[in-house]
Amino acid sequence: MIHTILIVDDSTISRKIVKKCLPKDREFELFEAGDGLAGLEKFKEVKPDLVFLDLTMPVMDGVQALQEILKVDQDAVVVVQTADVQKKTISNVMDSGAFTLLRKPLSPEAVAEVLRLVEGTGQKKG
Amino acid sequence: MSIAAEQALSRDEQDILQELMNIAFGRASADLAEVIDTYVVLNVPEVRTLKVVDLPEFISTEISDHDIISIVEQSYLGRFKGVALLIFPSGAGRELLNLFGDNVEDYGEDVSMAALEKESILEVSNILIGACVGKVVELLDDEVSFSPPRIIIEDHPRNAIPCEIFEPNSLATVMRTVFQFSDRNISGYLFLINSSESFQWLKKALNLFMEQYE
Amino acid sequence: MIFEQIFNMINVGLVVLDKDLNVRHWNRWMELHSNIKAEDIIGSPIFSCFPNLDNPKFLRNCKSVFKFGNFSFFSQKLHRYLFPFKPDSTFGSEFNHMQQSCTMGPLRDESNVVSHIYLSVQDVTEIAAYERKLVERNMQDGLTGIYNRRFLDTKLQEEFSRHKRYNRPFSLIMCDIDLFKNVNDTYGHQCGDVVIKHIAALMGSVIRDTDFLARYGGEEFCCLLPEADFEIACSLAERLRQAIEQTEVTFDGQTLNITVSFGVAYMYDEVEHAEALLQMADDALYAAKKSGRNRVVAAP
Repeated sequence: MIHTILIVDDSTISRKIVKKCLPKDREFELFEAGDGLAGLEKFKEVKPDLVFLDLTMPVMDGVQALQEILKVDQDAVVVVQTADVQKKTISNVMDSGAFTLLRKPLSPEAVAEVLRLVEGTGQKKG
Repeated sequence: MSIAAEQALSRDEQDILQELMNIAFGRASADLAEVIDTYVVLNVPEVRTLKVVDLPEFISTEISDHDIISIVEQSYLGRFKGVALLIFPSGAGRELLNLFGDNVEDYGEDVSMAALEKESILEVSNILIGACVGKVVELLDDEVSFSPPRIIIEDHPRNAIPCEIFEPNSLATVMRTVFQFSDRNISGYLFLINSSESFQWLKKALNLFMEQYE
Repeated sequence: MIFEQIFNMINVGLVVLDKDLNVRHWNRWMELHSNIKAEDIIGSPIFSCFPNLDNPKFLRNCKSVFKFGNFSFFSQKLHRYLFPFKPDSTFGSEFNHMQQSCTMGPLRDESNVVSHIYLSVQDVTEIAAYERKLVERNMQDGLTGIYNRRFLDTKLQEEFSRHKRYNRPFSLIMCDIDLFKNVNDTYGHQCGDVVIKHIAALMGSVIRDTDFLARYGGEEFCCLLPEADFEIACSLAERLRQAIEQTEVTFDGQTLNITVSFGVAYMYDEVEHAEALLQMADDALYAAKKSGRNRVVAAP
């Protein structure tokens, strides 16, 4: 079961939207970071069950953060969320090892579906 | 001041607008790739509220790297209402003409290269502004009409930047982004300047957008 | 009912296209000017009757309007027309086709998705003809019919910026009829006018098609030579000089031999503004006059 979630996004509004989209009937421990590098540090510290990662961020962008996170833990479950829905971006993100890619703005339905998928596959160890 | 400070966007509302612009420009960028066959990178937009009198100064500072610019001005009219300024550095017309690879012979013999370059800038600007504004208003559930774009070609910023867009003492929300055509040496600036007239509606629309998550 | 009447009564062409660019509506104005009945074109692609529209630009703009719900503008200035119709009135006699200003915009369905686009076609032939006449008058010298000084000054500025941007070469020739005051004093001003007209016409026939010859002052001419380096400009000036030297002007049974002095200047990077180039050509012309007239002097 997913318990700890890290949300990496430079926009507070966007982080707020992610939080609002999580199922209301469940308890999560939430962590936030405002850029890719801070996100990476936070990941090392808390080893979350799931990461929501924005692509366009200052300091370290999403694709780079994704690659760094996977270096730390190759089984990390990272859900990339972006407004950029071009095929090139999608394939780039998936090739880098993202669990999936969600289109911004998120919806509760899309988030619920992702949780179901992650918990169903049992990909995450421990 | 013709508008009270509390009527301007709050910090939260600016953040929402910022995120909306992120989403809108991301979509615009994806769709633009299909329309003009080239990937346009739209950098993270920046939102701020300024007094109209300070606009020319703000814009010239933003583009201070360039001595000579071409500038396209187009107004959009809906409940979302304002003026878009698209600014290209010198020489962009030639690059854009190459980008489209249109047949010069398609036009009359008496049409000069300069006119074709100007037309390329106008056409790209019309599409780019249409894409960005179109996606923003789509998210805000509005529709806008556009005036024909006007162009000032290859001039100094001090001559080219329009000073009298709105009532000078009113406030304006400026949304700024830097864009780049990938694989091409073309970049520029887009400013969407919303008049204070649309603030009331904009505040409401932004809050409505957030409400769907409450 | 009323909307349909407006659609057909309005003095503007209106066309509605679907996503595949098939014609969905075709108003009476379009019927009258194209000689294509609505029932004959509705349902078929717009390109079947107007293959000229099957070009990247038109398609690009259709895509854009469908995707973004924006508007596209096809101005008469560059495009002349989208639909090749015959001009409607006598104003259009100088145009092969009706001049049009066209707009394309979105039409949405109930769920706010752009499902169709409209095209509006406005006949601007009369305005275009009027504008063309004004533009021509504004750049012509009344006596000789060659360009006037205003036009040349504008052209010179253009050519100057073109040089600064793209480093294209160009040259300038200033010339002045020798001892013109004597012609006026001896034979009268009417004769002077005949001489000026004659010289202008002769020079016009010698210069290249791409050059711009203007009457710059009373008996002073200026010729702008785009893409001409120093040698081309000097040899053209020399050809002009010889042609004039060999010609004879007849007025009232009398034959006059006219000569002209020339100053040539070539644009190079150190020339900082267009006026400086004019001054260089003028100085060279002055030197030609001082050293005996009827000769070409090049600016150093």
